[in-house]
Amino acid sequence: MPDWVEPVARYMLEEGLVGTLRIAAIALAGSVLVGITLGTLLTIKFLPLRSLIRLYIEVWRGLPILVTIFIIFFMLPAVSQQLEFDALTAAAIGLILWGSAQVAEATRGAVQSIPREQHEAASALGFGWIGRHSFVIMPQALRRLLPPLVSLLVNIIQNTTIAQVIGATELLEAGERQSERLVAPEPIGLGEIHAFEIYAGVMVVFFLISFPLTRLAAYLERRLV
Amino acid sequence: MIFALAATFLTDLSSFVSDNFDELLAGLRRTLVVSAIAIVGAFVIGLILGAARAHRIPVISQLAAIYVEVIRNTPILVQIFFLYFGLPQVGVRLDAFTVAWLAVTIWGGAFNTENFRAGFEAVPTRYREAGFALGFGRIATFLNVTLPIGGRIALPSSINTYISVLKNTSLMYVIAYPELTTTALQIQALTLETVETFTVLAVTYLTLVWTMSALIRLLESRLALPEERS
Repeated sequence: MPDWVEPVARYMLEEGLVGTLRIAAIALAGSVLVGITLGTLLTIKFLPLRSLIRLYIEVWRGLPILVTIFIIFFMLPAVSQQLEFDALTAAAIGLILWGSAQVAEATRGAVQSIPREQHEAASALGFGWIGRHSFVIMPQALRRLLPPLVSLLVNIIQNTTIAQVIGATELLEAGERQSERLVAPEPIGLGEIHAFEIYAGVMVVFFLISFPLTRLAAYLERRLV
Repeated sequence: MIFALAATFLTDLSSFVSDNFDELLAGLRRTLVVSAIAIVGAFVIGLILGAARAHRIPVISQLAAIYVEVIRNTPILVQIFFLYFGLPQVGVRLDAFTVAWLAVTIWGGAFNTENFRAGFEAVPTRYREAGFALGFGRIATFLNVTLPIGGRIALPSSINTYISVLKNTSLMYVIAYPELTTTALQIQALTLETVETFTVLAVTYLTLVWTMSALIRLLESRLALPEERS
């Protein structure tokens, strides 16, 4: 293997991949938390609340994630100084807005698929609305929610690359920095172009992470339905 | 007070749109052209490879499976980088417009192959047997039985893919292809009218995407199989 590969690969994995996984972890946790809450609230028959959550879902699902991230990164600071975020946070918020809309929609379906007798039995046992949903309905709905959540994780991991556009350190950005460094004359770079190998490498890393997860999602779908 | 603020903002917005109308329209047109090419391309790819997958045609089916898995398991943004910044190193130079439509066509084609495969496989075997019994050959049975039924089953998911294709054209910002998003950011950099720019950008995308989703619901009820029509 040529000499340039080792430091490039090390930087891309230690800085880039770690950044990718960090953004993905924050985005997944936030999407699941916000999404499950909104999705459950969406099953309440109270029109103003339902329309508000519907609007939230349709807006963040309808906008390209890149545009959402631009709005957070460029527009919010123009509205108020306090709404200025660094690139990583802005990307994570953008992914949470998009991901939570997906989760909310899936949660609504999963919660509504639980037979109403389960609600009635839980009420008869003295559970209030919150207790009923957290101890009786949600544990059963989660089974149905698992395959779409694994697919969401795959999508979130792939969409973390959009953070590259605003310069957050993740795998694609790390690859681009290394590719640009190698073009520079020595001693910084080599005066050589290696974009082909670097971006092919980025694709391989994403494939190695995503492929087992998509298989897992397909397997869960067959097992849990 | 709030009404006064809203009125001021709306005035700002309309003067922003009329000041930059030609650029915005040119950007929107490029977004629509790239999307249209990619939707047609993805439809053709999905139809052919989806049929090959569903009928397990040797070699083509396996190659299609590899194509689908590679595209679906790698981020489209990296695919764009690879086409635009990676390929010139091996002598393949594509201009921004070519990469723009090519990247979303390849991406949409992979997702559509899966949509059509699932649609064709959902057609009950007995319908195809009925086609053979009537003396149709394999191709005639596909065109007259599997395609009309499976195509309708695949329609909603394939339109969802086309919506994603349209949204993904915004990523052409990274190769500076002047579609809607790139154009809007150029205007923003020039005018510094940040809030107006992003409001117009978001409203335009939502209008396009919501129109397409409304179209799904319309087509779903118009093209539903007779037994599923309610």
